[in-house]
Amino acid sequence: MNTNVVGSRVIREDAWGKVFGQSKFPADVNLPDQLYGVVVRSPYPHARVRNIVTEKALELAGVVTVLTAKDVPHNSHGVLFRDQPVLADYVRMVGDPVAVVGAETMEIARAAAKLVEIDYEVLPAVFDAEQAMLPEALPLHPELKPTNVLYHMPIRRGTMEDGWALADVVIENEYNTQHVDHAFLQPEAVLAYVDERGHMVVQTATQYAHYDRGEIAHALGLRFSQVQVKTLAVGGAFGGREDISLQIIAALLALTTLRPVKMENTREESFYSHSKRHPMRMYYKTGATKDGKLVAMEAKIVGDAGAYASWSINVLRKSAVHATGPYVIPNVSIDSFAVFTNNPYAGAMRGFGAAQTVLAYESQMDLLAKALGISALEIRLLNHFKVGSTTATGQVLTGSIPLDQCLAKIAPYLQKGDGIL
Amino acid sequence: MKKRGIGLGCAWYGTGYGNGFPDVSSAFVEIHDDGSATVLTGAVDVGQGSNSIYAQIAAEELGLQAQDICVYSADTDATPDSGTTAATRQTYNTGNAVLRAVRQAKVSLLDYAAHKFSCPTAEGIELSGGYIGVKGDPSRRMPLADMVFQARLQGERFISAESSTARSTPVDPETGQGAPYWPYAFGCQVAEVEVDTETGLVHVLKVVAVHDVGKALNPTQVEGQIAGGVAQGIGYALLEELELHEGKIKNPALSSYLIPTALDVPNIEAFFVEEAEATGPFGAKGLGEPAMLPTVAAVINAIDDAVGVRITSLPATPERILQALADKKEEANLKGE
Repeated sequence: MNTNVVGSRVIREDAWGKVFGQSKFPADVNLPDQLYGVVVRSPYPHARVRNIVTEKALELAGVVTVLTAKDVPHNSHGVLFRDQPVLADYVRMVGDPVAVVGAETMEIARAAAKLVEIDYEVLPAVFDAEQAMLPEALPLHPELKPTNVLYHMPIRRGTMEDGWALADVVIENEYNTQHVDHAFLQPEAVLAYVDERGHMVVQTATQYAHYDRGEIAHALGLRFSQVQVKTLAVGGAFGGREDISLQIIAALLALTTLRPVKMENTREESFYSHSKRHPMRMYYKTGATKDGKLVAMEAKIVGDAGAYASWSINVLRKSAVHATGPYVIPNVSIDSFAVFTNNPYAGAMRGFGAAQTVLAYESQMDLLAKALGISALEIRLLNHFKVGSTTATGQVLTGSIPLDQCLAKIAPYLQKGDGIL
Repeated sequence: MKKRGIGLGCAWYGTGYGNGFPDVSSAFVEIHDDGSATVLTGAVDVGQGSNSIYAQIAAEELGLQAQDICVYSADTDATPDSGTTAATRQTYNTGNAVLRAVRQAKVSLLDYAAHKFSCPTAEGIELSGGYIGVKGDPSRRMPLADMVFQARLQGERFISAESSTARSTPVDPETGQGAPYWPYAFGCQVAEVEVDTETGLVHVLKVVAVHDVGKALNPTQVEGQIAGGVAQGIGYALLEELELHEGKIKNPALSSYLIPTALDVPNIEAFFVEEAEATGPFGAKGLGEPAMLPTVAAVINAIDDAVGVRITSLPATPERILQALADKKEEANLKGE
């Protein structure tokens, strides 16, 4: 199809503002007479809040209010399940928000946050996903699941016995990936206020303004039509701005005090107030014939969901679906698990469960090639998906499946000897 | 000693929410009296450039330039819900919604113009270079602005609201069988690394990336996504790790949680393959997430090619490289090599 504008190198309209510094990020917007909010976060990974004493904080000049769980009309939010408290009276991870201070300046709010006295009953915690799966492990979300296994996805295709019988070479390995932070450049910031219509207005950087609106409305008991979420310039996201961070807390402060409220995370607070990439332990066993054809693969993938569900079900589903890599394997048995622990909660991050498995399946491919005495390119050319291939989930691929063209284009860069520089 | 190696990584990625979850995007369009137009959509531009893509799509369809289109997004009081900017779905899904909305607004515009030009069917009308006129008859055309303004005087407005829903079905919970995602995007990357066997430090010298994009709606933005993905992939492979002690983050600062800087990111050669995806806007599929996927494998496989050790736990820190080299040496000694 001939196109004029589509396919051309149009310069982005936001480029000028980003380069010359005119773009308004949420940290850049303020209103007269605004209050500053600072969150008091749990130092414990698992605890029940016995009591909160706010008097000392409130005595500090310039402190307007301290809000806790009892002040939230509907104290929950979450993308799949509303399993995350706005302000916790039961904490499941270090950094869970327990109280918020509203004060005349950011400095006073930070000082007052240190004066909020919280009495915790510290509970036993679990930090290893496979230990958390054991039947004796205490369930962290009994309201959702009787055990810490939030999700199990099996994929069964073909017959494993037949597959292993055909395999001349079998490679078995364990792979581990780490907790990763999105480390977007702009820490979370919010400006929330009740406007002249009586509507709650929340200006922030998010990946989904309409979701934020729904969660704010739910928590505060407002109608969708009474809440406006306006997205300002977003300083990086990568999945870390899908869950709610400060939006509801800032709106709660604004609704309670009827003053504009500004909140802005420090980098340290930012690390505690959004999700992480799931660490995964991946047990892989892959078999190929002496001709280099893949015939069988078994994988067990355990993902550490941390303290809350967030997107973990979808993430571990994506891990399972993509676990074979872009290769035809007729006999497959895959089990992926999302498991609650008391680690920072894991959620969406660029790649979304399909990023971790690349380490495993592509390492297996190179190891198989080495064992078979063929090149890394050859083993991939022998097995990659084409139009008409069937995936491990039985999906027949039609339409645009041009991995062959990608490999053809990159092949010259794999010439041995003089490198690709 | 410094040793060099080359590694290959391939990846695939099912775009969209998947598994039958309703994956819906929406857009409102208004064509103005001066021949410019506004697109309203809930899709957040998180910096990847989606607003520009929608401007290009609308401009293409209306025979205008991208700067003739105002895209306003992600304000819940003004724009319709277009789902999350996630799952590599905004170019594909909201792009489709914008395309459908523009075409919808165009239907009544073309009908009106057909009547004005005494053409019995809207099929005979085209929009091009800011003009609207009869196909094949350059003498019978007028500026789009004049046509829209005349239409207003007769009470005609060219506005629309449309949605687009991506295709996906849930998998069987017992067997995992089904067609959970559509479309799938593919890519492969080659990395060349230099490993210092004394310090264990890995230096990525170059990455070549080839990605399947269906159709590159804006090649500059494709290259930007690939460069960002490779940088993030290098961080994942070599640097980034949240250090936890009993759930507490020991390195909650960019001085101790290391992400790649300009000095860590090598020369990146970005290529793309264009094989149109029939269901995508102008044949496009998404690239956001796929761009980072193959990097980790290319780097880890290149390390093995360079020094013969297989790193199975990320990130491949100098400590892990040195440990693997020591283990390899010990194994060789035991074998009496």
